Amino acid sequence: MNKKLPNFIFTNQFGLLFLVLIFIVIFSTVTDGFTSRFNIFALSRVIAIDIMIGLAMMVVILTGGLNLALGAIGVCAAMFGGWCMEVLGIPIVPALLLTLGMGSLLGLVNGIITVKTGVHSFIVTLATMSIYFGFMTMLTEAEAFRRLPDLFTDFGSAKLFNKYVSPLLLVSVATCFILFYLFRFTDIGRKLIAAGANPEAAEVSGISVSRMFIYCHALSGFLGALAAILLTTRIGAAIPSMAGQLGMDWLLPAFLAPVIGGTLLSGGKLSVFGTMLGAVLVTLLTNGLYLLDVGEFWIRFFLGIILLLAVLLDRAREYLTLKNVIVS
Amino acid sequence: MNMTVAAIFKKDWLGLLIVVLVSGLVIAAVKPAFLSPFNLYVLMVSTSYMLIIALAQMIIIAIGQMNLSVGAIGGLVAISFSGLMEVHQISVPVAVLSGLVIGIACGFLNGYITVKSGISAFIITLATLYIFKGINLGITEAEPFYNIPENVKNFGNAKIGNTPIPFLLIIPIIITILMWVFINRTETGRHMLAYGNSVQSAELMGISSSKVVITAHIISGFLAAIAGMLVVCRLQLGTPNIGDSWLLPSFAAPVIGGAILAGGKVDVIATALGVLIVAIISQALVIFKIDPFFVQIFLGVMILLAVFVNRYREYKQEVRRKIFSSE
Repeated sequence: MNKKLPNFIFTNQFGLLFLVLIFIVIFSTVTDGFTSRFNIFALSRVIAIDIMIGLAMMVVILTGGLNLALGAIGVCAAMFGGWCMEVLGIPIVPALLLTLGMGSLLGLVNGIITVKTGVHSFIVTLATMSIYFGFMTMLTEAEAFRRLPDLFTDFGSAKLFNKYVSPLLLVSVATCFILFYLFRFTDIGRKLIAAGANPEAAEVSGISVSRMFIYCHALSGFLGALAAILLTTRIGAAIPSMAGQLGMDWLLPAFLAPVIGGTLLSGGKLSVFGTMLGAVLVTLLTNGLYLLDVGEFWIRFFLGIILLLAVLLDRAREYLTLKNVIVS
Repeated sequence: MNMTVAAIFKKDWLGLLIVVLVSGLVIAAVKPAFLSPFNLYVLMVSTSYMLIIALAQMIIIAIGQMNLSVGAIGGLVAISFSGLMEVHQISVPVAVLSGLVIGIACGFLNGYITVKSGISAFIITLATLYIFKGINLGITEAEPFYNIPENVKNFGNAKIGNTPIPFLLIIPIIITILMWVFINRTETGRHMLAYGNSVQSAELMGISSSKVVITAHIISGFLAAIAGMLVVCRLQLGTPNIGDSWLLPSFAAPVIGGAILAGGKVDVIATALGVLIVAIISQALVIFKIDPFFVQIFLGVMILLAVFVNRYREYKQEVRRKIFSSE
């Protein structure tokens, strides 16, 4: 009993859930309007997008790599989708499928180059980030697509459950369950994890590691496009600057959620629901800090500190569990 | 004589030098305006601080890590430097010194946390990127400092005599030479390369990881600080967004110069030539009135090409080694 309790407390999800609850209690007592219907609705929309961005990075971190081009892929896919709907007049559903296809394709290219050159995905995606984003800006001439179909933009402003929750959050939570199922119960999901955990062993046991890594990058592109679609419905337009310069504004939420959620940066271990809770935690904190009047400009500072603390705590937990194992 | 010629031919950077000369000549032949004094001046100005930014990243690549916060350090130093002079009326030398101290402190923080936690430098410097940038925006509230002392502005505009050579280029050239000496001729520099090559064997040789990693990050922060202040001299103002766009070029030049990101292999001269190649071709794109966004695409393509070439060279070396070992 005494031995089991600390182990349970040291599980990531428990700690995260605990932190989320603590912060909800703190912010709802300290700030005005944290629990207002408007704020909760706004939070649910932001959380939905942050979860998706976090998942998109998580599936590449699984390979021990990373995807700096995530934001660029998202924006490219969204702009492509906007062009399909506004200029070509393609109906919503096929246009969204094309958008997701575009995201997967760009991710696939990252994966193929990474695997074929054997160079770390950092440098490959750094290069493709600037190529994708450059082409997108040239082709769109940095103009937004603002006349998207009403049905599409209405989805982003729709309110469910007594007007508290955005349907965007349902999309993200559903994606979490699908990914959880994929990684836990399907053959391909297990192969992806095995390839990330120990590439040599996986190769020997008949898994094509290169193919698995390429799948991970394509999946990352797919989820990045999905995140961008959610963002587009939220803003009501596809805007080239919606993820910042080169799409790099997505990087911090992309790494924060999985790292806080217990995904190992060296690859081979991921936690879908950890990433979800990580995104919730980060969004809550950002929102609470805004309501506390910390000032827009210091938010980045605090997010940086949080990332630093998260990785250091992760390290400490690893150390403690290791000590536990040795002691017992 | 023959010996030195043969030695030069063996250098990795020879190919890059040829690329620089040929591309320069071709562009000049098509557009003679390329060699106009004004154009050469612009070229040298952009080379000057890019050189330091590239070296700030190169020293971290040498130990097999990466520093995402180079731009954030440069930006923080740039606004501290200009803010101290404008708001607090501090004299230029003291402001420069404070800027350098801030850069060194930021670098030390990066190195210390990385080596003590054992977490990859990527994630640590991603976090510190936001911390430094957050402090920058928190202090400035995104407003630039416009009232830079005249002598700082003059330094940014001055040319050497009647030549088109900018004064700004002097410091980067001195630093490039010092960096070459440091990496190739000092024990600490050698230890860094050894550490980048293989952490385990470096530790077995008795090289202290913390000393190597922290020193490299301190140098990186120091160089980022100098680059930040040079950009202030160049722009004649301190804006909070200095450094925002450094990430890509900071990696482009060392990678084009053949640096292997796994660490242990960097070359100061090749990196400098990498900077020059990027500068020449970016400038050419401007002269030929090509869409400025194309520069971004071009930088990305250059990095990928360099990666392919490096990979091919490694492959050929491997093949050669196999042939020799089979004999």
